[in-house]
Amino acid sequence: MKKDVIVEVNDVSMVYRRTRHRVSTLKQTAIDTITKRISHEDFYALTDVSLSVSRGETLAIIGRNGAGKSTLLKVLARVLPPSNGRVIVRGDVAPMIELGAGFNPELTGAENILLYGTLLGRSTIEMKSRIEAIADWAGLRESLDVPLRAYSSGMVGRLAFATATDTTPDLLLIDEVLSVGDEDFQERSKARTVEMMKSGCAVILVTHDLGAVEAMANRALYLEAGQVKATGTPKSVIAKYHSDLHR
Amino acid sequence: MKIYDSAVKQTPVISQIKAIYESRDLLRILVARDLTVRYKRSVIGIWWSLLNPIFTTGVLFYVFNTVFKSRMPDGTSFLPYLLSGVLLMTFFNQGLTMAADSIANGSGVLTKVYVRPEVFAASATISSAINFCFGLVPLTAVLLITGKHPGIKAPLVLIAIFFLILFTIGLSLFMAVAYISFDDSKSLIAILLLMLQYMTPVFYPISVLGPHTLRVIKLNPLTAFLTVFRDVFGNNGSATFGTWIYMMASALVIFVGGLYFFMRKWPKVVAKI
Repeated sequence: MKKDVIVEVNDVSMVYRRTRHRVSTLKQTAIDTITKRISHEDFYALTDVSLSVSRGETLAIIGRNGAGKSTLLKVLARVLPPSNGRVIVRGDVAPMIELGAGFNPELTGAENILLYGTLLGRSTIEMKSRIEAIADWAGLRESLDVPLRAYSSGMVGRLAFATATDTTPDLLLIDEVLSVGDEDFQERSKARTVEMMKSGCAVILVTHDLGAVEAMANRALYLEAGQVKATGTPKSVIAKYHSDLHR
Repeated sequence: MKIYDSAVKQTPVISQIKAIYESRDLLRILVARDLTVRYKRSVIGIWWSLLNPIFTTGVLFYVFNTVFKSRMPDGTSFLPYLLSGVLLMTFFNQGLTMAADSIANGSGVLTKVYVRPEVFAASATISSAINFCFGLVPLTAVLLITGKHPGIKAPLVLIAIFFLILFTIGLSLFMAVAYISFDDSKSLIAILLLMLQYMTPVFYPISVLGPHTLRVIKLNPLTAFLTVFRDVFGNNGSATFGTWIYMMASALVIFVGGLYFFMRKWPKVVAKI
């Protein structure tokens, strides 16, 4: 086993059981059971996906909407357990998937940093010592004791980004290149993301920005309807994706 | 180094209890959040949570004491008996609903970061238990007014609280899965919970029941919890050794059963929340 392999995904499938009806109710289930009608179908969000990412590598995942990109990221973030196959992740994961999970508008900025950081698996003591540094980076030092509902959405985004990135993970999961705050903050957040990517962790990046893929990724993976269509250098995979799009 | 391997099978119950214990930092913060959010900007703070049980007790007391002119058969005073029942049922109902909702409506957190949902159920129940502890203050006041006092057995109430926390967490895990699986389960469960509530001797003494009804009422674990609570706090009931055993055993069965059931079902329902 290679020591620097951070992520290994072997033949992972995600199967959802979907009901044929719009909603699933006890009543409908009872009727279907009595009339022996099959009321559900299996939907494969991912089919036999395999990949591996080592330390220092950046893998970009591209594909159309609904191809399974976000599902794959959620499987890697442990949020969704795979239906089949095996996922191994070695080390700490920083999921920059949808930032600000668990933010509560009634709590102050400082309380939200503490809550969010702890939700991300960091210890309370560690988080307490980082609150001011995080707020400084987000430019929100003065608003720390103000409830979050008084923040603008840009300020909330900045706080979430600053908290989520205040760490040195072994694996960084990024869903879409992040754009929060004003132009200045966007540039700083982009710089910080790039800095994290270069710090030697493994990165998996999901994006529609093919320019960013070519600029940032070592390798790319093209998903279509839950299946891996192509892997390889960003250039070759993008070419394949383009030729499929214009077919 | 932390290693996540999806192929490693987690032992149900044991791994879940371990996960809750290892998330105690998060648990503490979630409980603090629940309490802060509820009371922060209210003038009377935490006492706000007691308005509901006190008001409920007031209405029930008026109905039974003044309208129906009913008296406790053994001559004990009705008010502490009633208030202790209302407080315990509030603890149970509030904890159960909040715990199940925190998972069923938890998509904002549970589908974005990796957290064991059981931790959310535990934090909601513990918050409710803390509210209950505040309720012991007005209960003590009522006991003193009616010429009684909590008694030397009062600290034993902590044991009852501990087991009611386990019981509530276990039940909420069943409920959360039902909520997520079936859209119409909520109203059905509400009816079942109402039945359970009437099957608990909150505002009637056990001694007025006939033998058949009594058997059913005594099967209800909440009756055991309430009997123990009334016995240790204010001496308004008499719990036997059997009542204690039944209370603890039913709590453990529901807790372990709920954890096991949840472990099996969660991977199948997580995509639906």
